[in-house]
Amino acid sequence: MENKRLFNSTSTKIQYITKGLELSKSLFVSSLIIGEANIGKKSLVKSIFPDAKWVDGHNKTKLKQALSEHDELIINNFEMYGDYNINDFNGKRIIAISNASSFPSQVDSLFAFIYTMPSLKERLEDVKYLGDIFAKEVKSIFNTKEISMLNLADIDLIDNTKSLKKAIFEHYIYNTITPEQIEQMLYNYFKKELGGNNDYAKYLTIFENPLIKAGLAKFGSQLKLSSVLGINRNTLRKKVYELGIN
Amino acid sequence: MNLESIDFKLFVEVDNNPFILFDSSGHILYLNNSAEMLLCYVGTKELYDLALTYAPKTFGHKNTIHSLEYEAFSFYSLMVGYETDEQIYLRLYNKPLVQTKMSICNESLISTDINTLLEANITLFQLESSAAISLFVDQELPTFKLDQNHFSKMLRKALSTFIDSPSLNIILKLIVGEYILINDKKHQIIELILKAPKRKIDFDDEINQLANQTHITASLKPETIKFQIPLIV
Repeated sequence: MENKRLFNSTSTKIQYITKGLELSKSLFVSSLIIGEANIGKKSLVKSIFPDAKWVDGHNKTKLKQALSEHDELIINNFEMYGDYNINDFNGKRIIAISNASSFPSQVDSLFAFIYTMPSLKERLEDVKYLGDIFAKEVKSIFNTKEISMLNLADIDLIDNTKSLKKAIFEHYIYNTITPEQIEQMLYNYFKKELGGNNDYAKYLTIFENPLIKAGLAKFGSQLKLSSVLGINRNTLRKKVYELGIN
Repeated sequence: MNLESIDFKLFVEVDNNPFILFDSSGHILYLNNSAEMLLCYVGTKELYDLALTYAPKTFGHKNTIHSLEYEAFSFYSLMVGYETDEQIYLRLYNKPLVQTKMSICNESLISTDINTLLEANITLFQLESSAAISLFVDQELPTFKLDQNHFSKMLRKALSTFIDSPSLNIILKLIVGEYILINDKKHQIIELILKAPKRKIDFDDEINQLANQTHITASLKPETIKFQIPLIV
């Protein structure tokens, strides 16, 4: 399922990389795919070379052995290998994957093809597509039919697909959590954290802060909110001041 | 042997030396495949004027040794002839490329469909370039032995010199009638021409080095790169 996703990417650049790798299936050439973490490099390679042997650049002994034994090899974390004076790539189908953004100049002469895979920030057309897939995953895991949509443009994609998936899961949890689940979460939290000499006052803000912020956002004025909460408006004003709420 | 039954026109058609037949007004009456490609780079009038300049003084045929350069094409000689006032032909003879003595390391050579290898390289090029690509390739080329990794490195470097160009013409064809000698064995030649309005020359030394490693003759000019690849079977 994961493989299918990237193969179906709507990004033109990903489609070019996919086509290039598909063509190299019938060639004995070395290819290097570089790009940020969590942008789908491994999934893409898995989808095109499902039966190839994988080896990690961290393990130099295993990598050298694999190079001597296999004509088709995927090297993950290639930057960790470090020995760029390799001459075993000729006549083999090597796909090296790396999160590194730069390499020593001799790496350029090792590879026939060097693909730079764009990050998710650079292929916003894929954000909606992947967002829909992660939303389906949420529905499946939490056994729910509908989830409210998150504004994808607001998501910080610093960690690419990882950030997107995290944001969608958090959005679902924050919007569907039950009082029992909140209670359980707080129970676990307090059990772990309590241990000072003024903890009641210290941890009361955990309730008061979101309560007053949400109330002000929903009802617009302290007067109205004090009525909804059933407390004196001077008490509410004092709390707003103490909690530093604008 | 009955020579009348032989279609000599076919031999002219596939000849790697351009052949053009003009009428008395300079219009083209016939041109062979090679001349068709030449006309991508030089105008009809220029070639007609060339024919008139080097035409024999009376009816007949005249061969002149004269060096001519048109982008990817280099000629060392031309022949002009006419038997009537109505038609005149121009034939240009390709300059042989300088060859160094080469030997082959068979271990690194793999049976290759060069069109697939070229397509993979063009795909990589398109990732970084928005150049409009015009392809004129012979899809019927046979598979032949090639050091795929070295060849691709060379082609990647060569294509990268056109990265900022608005367009790129790519021609891939089998040269008829010319051979390359490697280890005292004759091999046919496949020619790859990359041509654009501009290109960077930063990697030219590296491209030449990679070409030498793969028994390929490279000709690098300001707007053109031409590779002559031995068809090793």
